[in-house]
Amino acid sequence: MQDAIFQIQHLSLVYRARRGHPAATILDDISVDIERGSALTLVGPSGSGKSSLLRCLNRLEEPTAGVVRFGGRPITELDPRELRRRAALVQQTAVLFEGTVRDNLMVHAPGAPLDVSENRLNEALTEVGLDVALLAMLSGGERQRVTIARALLRDPQALLLDEPTSALDPPNTMLVVDTICRLRDTRGLTIVAVTHTPELVRRLGGVLLYLVKGRVQAYEPLHDGGVIDERLQAFLSGTLP
Amino acid sequence: MTSAVFGVSELSWWRLTLALLLVLVVAAISLRERLGLERDLVIGAVRAIVQLYLVGLILAAVFSAARWYWVLLILGVMVAIATHAAVSRLGKPIPGVYWIAATALTLSTAATLAYVIGVVIEPRPWWEPQYLVPIAGMILGNSMTSAALAGDRLQSDLFARRDEVEARLALGFSGREAVQPLVRAALRAAMIPTVNGMMTVGVVQLPGMMTGQILAGASPLTAIRYQIVVVFMMAVATALGSLVFARLAVGRYLTPAHQLKRYLL
Repeated sequence: MQDAIFQIQHLSLVYRARRGHPAATILDDISVDIERGSALTLVGPSGSGKSSLLRCLNRLEEPTAGVVRFGGRPITELDPRELRRRAALVQQTAVLFEGTVRDNLMVHAPGAPLDVSENRLNEALTEVGLDVALLAMLSGGERQRVTIARALLRDPQALLLDEPTSALDPPNTMLVVDTICRLRDTRGLTIVAVTHTPELVRRLGGVLLYLVKGRVQAYEPLHDGGVIDERLQAFLSGTLP
Repeated sequence: MTSAVFGVSELSWWRLTLALLLVLVVAAISLRERLGLERDLVIGAVRAIVQLYLVGLILAAVFSAARWYWVLLILGVMVAIATHAAVSRLGKPIPGVYWIAATALTLSTAATLAYVIGVVIEPRPWWEPQYLVPIAGMILGNSMTSAALAGDRLQSDLFARRDEVEARLALGFSGREAVQPLVRAALRAAMIPTVNGMMTVGVVQLPGMMTGQILAGASPLTAIRYQIVVVFMMAVATALGSLVFARLAVGRYLTPAHQLKRYLL
């Protein structure tokens, strides 16, 4: 691949046995490149290691073998805090901290102040389709979009989405899908998404990675007509043989 | 029997046996209300008698031997027992928790004790067991409770608020920064009972030490002076015990790469 933002090479993650829990292989020898500005969708049955793979990319999880490179450098050589600002994670359930939306957007590590103007705050909110004026009681979708705006203020190069719409109702799901796809187009963000939402998979396009029991079962481009509906349904429901 | 006007009045074995009747009242309530506590009650009563009697014997021996190393040995044993008690109250094991608890209890007790004995009370000699042992016991008891409270709260919060911690990590916080609000909540939970206790001390009930001194014949005005020292000393023991424990324990849940060890939760 010409310009890979992430290179995942022979990545494995094994949880060793602990009291009451047997050892478990979560990820087994995964190798894949993710091109800058492209989209990769991770699908598969629950427990297949999708979220763990995502968490290995920003080093919330430490693989037991293999290498992840970000911008050509192994992520173990980068400061994890800097890596996580560059590759921003959006969690399944939006986590908002105490305080106002503004406080949440401005939240920063004590040693790393966020230098943003009022204009940029408003821009970030506009980018995710939120109106500052009417932010009082937030819906689930609005909360999720606030967390996306919070990530954007750190100027990430990649967005890591961990089932960003699974806790949302259909209308809110559509709004979040719209937001994510628009960001990919306007900002040229690389998007890696774990999802079960067909709409998000279709509209993101890019490549689909199908995991079963921590192994890559399929790796298919999703360009128009690339993956037909029944096959996509089978991928998303985890019933592909 | 109860004729002493000054000094300590002796309590005979016969009168202690009469006190045992109070336990029978509890047993009767338990039987009547079918609480099923009779067995534990009997064990508890027997243990209380045996433990206190043994402690009395040991203390009497240490007091009469009057050697500093015996006093230090007693303190060491007390720290070991308190460490075990604090650790056994935790819901889930934390790797290395014994060392953490022992460090927290030793540091908080030593620091508090050094100040109270060395600066405030100044007994001669400094290791005078009559002062050192009971005061160390009170400090240790408070450190132990506060360390256990802080540990329990920290553990349950790390589990319940793990997504919040990882949200901070994902925003570029360091591990310590990401768990700071949880550490703060744990310290508050550990210290609030002591701070609240300071508000009502003497009004709702007379503290144990003061009661003991008064029963033993000391003037209430002497007793309150000691009690004031004890209240402040317990506050600092609580703060130090929970602080050291929480700070050391939370480190066990973090990696140098600012990751949360989810498998420990």
